[in-house]
Amino acid sequence: MPKGYLAIVLHAHLPFIRHPEHEDFLEEDWLFEAITETYIPLIKVFDGLVKDGVDFRLTISISPTLMSMFMDEHLQDKYIRHINKLIELSWKEIDRTRWEPSFFKLAHMYHNGFLECRRVFVDEYKKDLNNAFKHFQDLGKIEVITCGATHGYFPLMEVERPASVRAQVKVAADLYRKVYGKTPLGMWLPECGYNPGDEEALKEEGIKYFFVDTHGILFGTPRPRFGVFSPYLCKNGVAVLGRDMETSKAVWSAVEGYPGDYNYREFYRDIGFDLDYEYVKPYINPDGVRINTGIKYYKITGAGNHKEPYNPEAARDTAAYHAGNFMFNREKQVEFLQGRMGDRAPILVSPYDAELYGHWWYEGPQWLDFLIRKIRYDQETVALATPGDYLKLYKKYQILAPAYSSWGWKGYSEVWLEGSNDWVYRHVHKMTERMVEAANTYKNANGLLRRALNQMARELLLAQSSDWAFIMKTGSHVPYAQERLREHAEHFNELYDEVKEGEIDEAYIKECEDKYNIFPEIDYSVYSS
Amino acid sequence: MTKGASLKMRERKQFRFPPGYGDNKIVSMARDPWWIFAYWEIRHDKEEDIVRSIKGDGDVPAKSILRVYDVTDVNFNGKNAHSYFDIDLKGPANSWYINVGSPDRSWIVDIGVVTKKGNFYLLARSNTAKTPRYGMSDKLDAEWMMPEEDYWKMFGLSGGFGIGKGSLEVREAFKKRLEEQISSAQVSSGASFYRKAQERKFWLVVNTELIVYGATEPDAKLTVQGKEIKLRQDGTFTLRFALPDGRQVIPVEAVSSDGTDRRKIAPIVTRKTE
Repeated sequence: MPKGYLAIVLHAHLPFIRHPEHEDFLEEDWLFEAITETYIPLIKVFDGLVKDGVDFRLTISISPTLMSMFMDEHLQDKYIRHINKLIELSWKEIDRTRWEPSFFKLAHMYHNGFLECRRVFVDEYKKDLNNAFKHFQDLGKIEVITCGATHGYFPLMEVERPASVRAQVKVAADLYRKVYGKTPLGMWLPECGYNPGDEEALKEEGIKYFFVDTHGILFGTPRPRFGVFSPYLCKNGVAVLGRDMETSKAVWSAVEGYPGDYNYREFYRDIGFDLDYEYVKPYINPDGVRINTGIKYYKITGAGNHKEPYNPEAARDTAAYHAGNFMFNREKQVEFLQGRMGDRAPILVSPYDAELYGHWWYEGPQWLDFLIRKIRYDQETVALATPGDYLKLYKKYQILAPAYSSWGWKGYSEVWLEGSNDWVYRHVHKMTERMVEAANTYKNANGLLRRALNQMARELLLAQSSDWAFIMKTGSHVPYAQERLREHAEHFNELYDEVKEGEIDEAYIKECEDKYNIFPEIDYSVYSS
Repeated sequence: MTKGASLKMRERKQFRFPPGYGDNKIVSMARDPWWIFAYWEIRHDKEEDIVRSIKGDGDVPAKSILRVYDVTDVNFNGKNAHSYFDIDLKGPANSWYINVGSPDRSWIVDIGVVTKKGNFYLLARSNTAKTPRYGMSDKLDAEWMMPEEDYWKMFGLSGGFGIGKGSLEVREAFKKRLEEQISSAQVSSGASFYRKAQERKFWLVVNTELIVYGATEPDAKLTVQGKEIKLRQDGTFTLRFALPDGRQVIPVEAVSSDGTDRRKIAPIVTRKTE
């Protein structure tokens, strides 16, 4: 029996960005980059572990918007085009770098990596990466959980709160059931944002657990006996787990975190910016703006601007060392906690954005691979577990009412509610109010009316994505986020007016449906009370 | 708008929000344990009604205010709040951040007009916003009890501060931790991360590349530094190399398709950086 458990939770999410009306669309690249740099590298890690017979348990939350984009044929085909261009560019790079051995070696590395991505994407998983995650879930290696339907931030759904949260949860659970063939065990609340009472919507859908940030547990009522080292039960029986800070800091922190090691790859030196304009032009944005290609030749090197060539072997050694260090610290942490937990084994919950692994921290997937193997073979103190596994261990858990919290900067809602984005809520709240009113007025609608109401629900959900407020706060791609909000509001309000007037324009609905085709089976009645 | 934006969209028009919803209401939301945010839309005719009734009461409107009530555990009827405070609205504001300063309390915000005589006329009343609990609960669970200091130890361990600290220190450390909160969801590529790109001051970068180009019979076999090169249909070729410091010998060899003719030319290039 291990003395404690480590629950690594990777939260994979991107907002729904799909523009069939354009051949190239800058923000669509976020998905393609994440597929190449994060999702496929993680899938390859899992595949390697399975082939080597290494047992493991990880939890992966895949947001419904990401799930939907994985399934979308238009985006699948665009990804293939995207990866083909990278294969071509990296092939040119092999020629170009012939006289610079350290870059030449890296050009080969990228070229092979891109070819492998295309093979995994097209041949192995038939262009839909849900097939990969389902595969590893069916093998009992990962627990795939869901997230709010469009990553709406629950704490700020102040108007028509129950219906608003219920729709985010139910639409997510329905999509999960359709794609993964069962009810999701857990849910990652978008931005870890929890408002007391949200657990009711989870219970209605049969979801067994969710996560909050550390202070969501520590400031809960009554006083939590086990800190964040045990799940608790909300009054309605849904379990809640809190983030462990020590493991978070090890990976996330700018000062102490592993990803800043000088041997690791430098994110900010990309050939899309470094090379001659005419040469990279076919591979950057069609309007001529330089962007990241994903081909990066330097290591972090040091604090200054001087950068040296990336050395994959040295980086790999560093990742192995960091994995060993992480494991050692978990053993110590568990041993230290053991005597303080009564007869219970502690669980350390370590959630990370999946896109940190590979995209930002290039060696992240390698680190995870080393960590999983080391945990399996090099010690017996700590075992990997999912929350679902752990919850089977004990019959009783303390009852706790968690506190309002998020994992955003300062721990509450300031990231999504500040000068740059606070104007959003008056519009999104109004849409919610109108949605609930329309759903109550037109029950059991059919035909065009039903299509209009369903599309209104889609537009509302998409407008609720926390990403738009987040982008406005961080300051890049702001016009896109603003435009998306305006567009969803306009579609929604136009449809609402048509519904009210009883004059529904089919061509308009069709246009909206084609453009924002997410959740094809949505039922607007989720908003009726 | 990004340059890549939809032409179709552009041709049509800019998307836009309705200028207003014709509502007369105020909504409040808790931002964190100490602040709430309120936004409102007030109908002009309602405002005129209020002014009219103020005048009817023989009074004069003095200023617009927000009146913020602490209604914790109260079924609020407009008069039974624990306390309230006013905020003078200046300029054409339609939202406000309100420093209520107290976690775990419930708040209602009225928007209205105060008269010269000091009477308050209500324009709209908000929903109740509850600020989050902050700090460890005083409520103990009889079934899961332990000594006070042990709770603080668990608290410190959970927060990643270790065990040796007293409750005061842990409280301080926790506050600091939230302020430095290190992770929030990132949009891939769209946002900054744990480590930002180095800010450069004045700077200069110079690199060199060499272009080697030429032509031979379209069906000939061509190698450059021993590596076979694919010719274009007209027999021309172009190669581009990053050119580091040092000397490069670049033998280019063409062999005719029947293997009988060959030509070899070997340019030598030296780069030296001073």
